[in-house]
Amino acid sequence: MTQLSCQSLNVSIGGKAICNDLNLQISAGQFWGLLGPNGIGKTTLLKCLAGLSAPDHGEVMLENQNLDTLPRRAIAKLLGMLQQHTVYVFDASVMDTALTGRHPHLGYWEREGADDQLKAAAALKAVDLEGFENRSVTGLSGGEARRLAFASLMVQEAKILLLDEPTNHLDIKHQIRIMNQMERLVVNEGRAAFAALHDVNLAARYCSHILMLFGDGQWQAGPAEEMLSQQSLERLYQCEVESVATSNGIRFLPGA
Amino acid sequence: MIPTTSHRLLLFILLLLSVASLFLASAIGSIPMGWQQWWTAIGDSASQQGELIWRLRLPRAMAAWFVGAMLAMSGCLMQVLLRNPLADPYVLGVSGGAAFATLLGMLLGTAVVFLPWLALAGSLVSILIVFGLARGTGPWSGTRLLLTGVVTASGWAALISLILSVSPDNSLRSMLFWLMGDLSYAKLPIWTIVVLAISFILTMGLARSLNVLAMGETTAKLLGEPTRRLLWVVYLLASVLTATAVSIAGSVGFVGLIVPHLMRLLVGSDHRILIPAATLFGGLFLVMSDTLARTVLSPQQLPVGVITALLGVPLFLLLLNRARLTGV
Repeated sequence: MTQLSCQSLNVSIGGKAICNDLNLQISAGQFWGLLGPNGIGKTTLLKCLAGLSAPDHGEVMLENQNLDTLPRRAIAKLLGMLQQHTVYVFDASVMDTALTGRHPHLGYWEREGADDQLKAAAALKAVDLEGFENRSVTGLSGGEARRLAFASLMVQEAKILLLDEPTNHLDIKHQIRIMNQMERLVVNEGRAAFAALHDVNLAARYCSHILMLFGDGQWQAGPAEEMLSQQSLERLYQCEVESVATSNGIRFLPGA
Repeated sequence: MIPTTSHRLLLFILLLLSVASLFLASAIGSIPMGWQQWWTAIGDSASQQGELIWRLRLPRAMAAWFVGAMLAMSGCLMQVLLRNPLADPYVLGVSGGAAFATLLGMLLGTAVVFLPWLALAGSLVSILIVFGLARGTGPWSGTRLLLTGVVTASGWAALISLILSVSPDNSLRSMLFWLMGDLSYAKLPIWTIVVLAISFILTMGLARSLNVLAMGETTAKLLGEPTRRLLWVVYLLASVLTATAVSIAGSVGFVGLIVPHLMRLLVGSDHRILIPAATLFGGLFLVMSDTLARTVLSPQQLPVGVITALLGVPLFLLLLNRARLTGV
């Protein structure tokens, strides 16, 4: 069973606790939303789960193997991460950048084959970047660069997807488009996703599970319908929240 | 990336031009030679002009080609390693160590045949010093490597100045020629060809990793690169190439800086194309520069480093200006 889990994980940044004794199991078919106010440590936690930084205590397990002991290439075949910021400094084409997702699957002198090209083309189409193949990445808008980064992640074909604010810079149409793609990958293809989100309503619409970070190492996790309530969100964001019943379920608005 | 036909064509053209430049370099020089004479001489290596071509001009042109190719390749690697477009093969002190050892040898009257070995030893010592000091145990730090290298280079520069200031006048000229880069006495031992061949094959194997690395260390890690190991391998490859080139021709400037940039403008930054293109063009560029160095004030010979800088500086400024205009 594909899963990313952690046991009694302590993560901190600059002496400030992000989570204490965190136990999570992110399994195939689950779409986790990570909620918390600005600066609470969502990115740091994601980096720790991706093995980019070490926790203070506890361990992260990828398919029952300690993340520390796995070589990066083995990790990259199973786990992919969309970073919070997408900055393309060096000139390259959109197609070539999408193809970088194939990197962990190819050997040293190996080149991308026709099937890799097809995968990249399909991913570009899925994020509405069809026709951009030969454009330079340095000329892309913020939203286009974001969608390209997501396309690269899809091309990587990792079973576990960590996403740091995937809808950054995106208009509503493309927010929905990306989240629908995520939902398709999780529900239809049995991947697992763990996304830091700021939009509570996107979380309510798409996530099956929620992890909330309250600061001082306190956290709470569980199924989305149990976790997302007016009271918990008011506690989380320290502001008034109003809940509204819609035809798609309960949604949340900033209170007066 | 799948190499396009136009990229293949460009590499082929660069290869043809490289071969052509070697022939051209063998035909022109302070002793003029018509094409017919040249053709006869090529076929008759025992004749006086045949000797001139086969024993003097062609070996020198070959040495120029290999030195240029190695420096250009090393420049490509250094620029990714330090993620700095101004990085050149000498920035981390490799040539400084070589220069110090060679000049010390000249001062002490070491036989000319031993000088390349001194250069090689000096640069290897410098590589080990920088490698040892910058390695540490923490995460990779490009800044620490850059600072260690630059400061080590300054140390060598001070020692070089010291040697220059205590050397007798009659040896100053050959010292300055060495420092500027000079192919007059260049020899091309077989092992240097092997170094270029092996480095080229290894670098091509790492080319896709270099592309990923250029996107940032975190991105590279997430795409499965053991970045720390990769960066040290790149550092050692670049350093060995530089050390070899410097042992042949002294510290020829600008090839390692401008050739990668020129080629990046032409073929983009996919290292699978960039590395072979820069390698071929680096060789071509230095053969042509050296031919100019031999002929422009003939019979007087200039150090090739003067020509590469004289060609390189305006070319580089032009490129930079163009890049600003087009926003490349």
